Amino acid sequence: MTIKELIEQTGWKLSTPSLSTDIEIKGAYCGDLLSWVMGNGEPQQAWITVQVHANVIAVALLREFSCIIVADDANVTEEFAAKAAAEELVVLESSMPVYETAKKLVELGI
Amino acid sequence: MFYDLHMHSCLSPCAEDAMTPNNICNMAFIKGLDLIAVTDHNSTKNLPAVDKVASSLGLKLLYGCELETSEEVHVLGLFNTLEKSQKFQEWIDSKMPDVPNDEEYFGYQWIMNEKDEKIGDEKRLLLVSLNATLEETTDAVHAYGGRVILAHVLDRANSVTHQLGFIPMDLPYDGLEVKSDEQRLRVIATNPWVTEDSTNWFIDSDAHYLTDINEPDHFLRDSVFKKLWGDEL
Repeated sequence: MTIKELIEQTGWKLSTPSLSTDIEIKGAYCGDLLSWVMGNGEPQQAWITVQVHANVIAVALLREFSCIIVADDANVTEEFAAKAAAEELVVLESSMPVYETAKKLVELGI
Repeated sequence: MFYDLHMHSCLSPCAEDAMTPNNICNMAFIKGLDLIAVTDHNSTKNLPAVDKVASSLGLKLLYGCELETSEEVHVLGLFNTLEKSQKFQEWIDSKMPDVPNDEEYFGYQWIMNEKDEKIGDEKRLLLVSLNATLEETTDAVHAYGGRVILAHVLDRANSVTHQLGFIPMDLPYDGLEVKSDEQRLRVIATNPWVTEDSTNWFIDSDAHYLTDINEPDHFLRDSVFKKLWGDEL
């Protein structure tokens, strides 16, 4: 499934509208401890987190994630979204908690 | 100056009850330290008592606290006057969630006077993350005239590298705290934008027990101290 299709299915907000969403998602990873995610994430995964520090963007690029899904209405600042867009990293926002967000991905076959 | 800039008094629930103002200052004095900072979790309320005891011993004191940011990163805020630290308490209070302490589970949070008499309790649990990001916390300490040291940066809990993966490149911190020289080299090796000279390095005890306070093994040059905190002590 692509990010574009995911947005169509869920209605999750795209925080980086300037970026293409024709990017394939293969699996997902949940975690807020960045040291842990750095060691365990896999390329093309969607990363579900509530952490919105600028280091999140660097870790996502390092692990080559397809996108970040910021869950549970964690506060995505304009600064964070702008920085992600500048690095060509797609950011989505889900108002569901992390578990429900992950369940939604499972339902959609990711 | 031989120093230890990170230790907890009996106000921190996780510290032993024997970490009273007199015990801390006298232990540091007997060990031969010249400069200490008492840094309770999210609180500066035992510093008036510590200040009196330290000055009676001629022990230099920085007025500190160990703040937990919303990312659950621990940072030391260190002030060069008691007044600044007490004013900063107002900022802490404005960012502190109101969770009651469970003494049975977490431990006591005693506020003491200079005679080691209990004069109050902190009722709110201090082991919480403040409603402020790492950047906001750093800016606040600076705005109140303090200095920011990222605490125990390689720890497996509540360190900047554990919570955020690595040391943020553009964060205007004033120093990094490690547990050993070996850790300092590891920080430099794993964070290429951090060098020996790019910041000030501290090796502190993070003592929660009297016996854990630093021996006089780590020396802070007067020039570094003055650069960070000036002459006002």
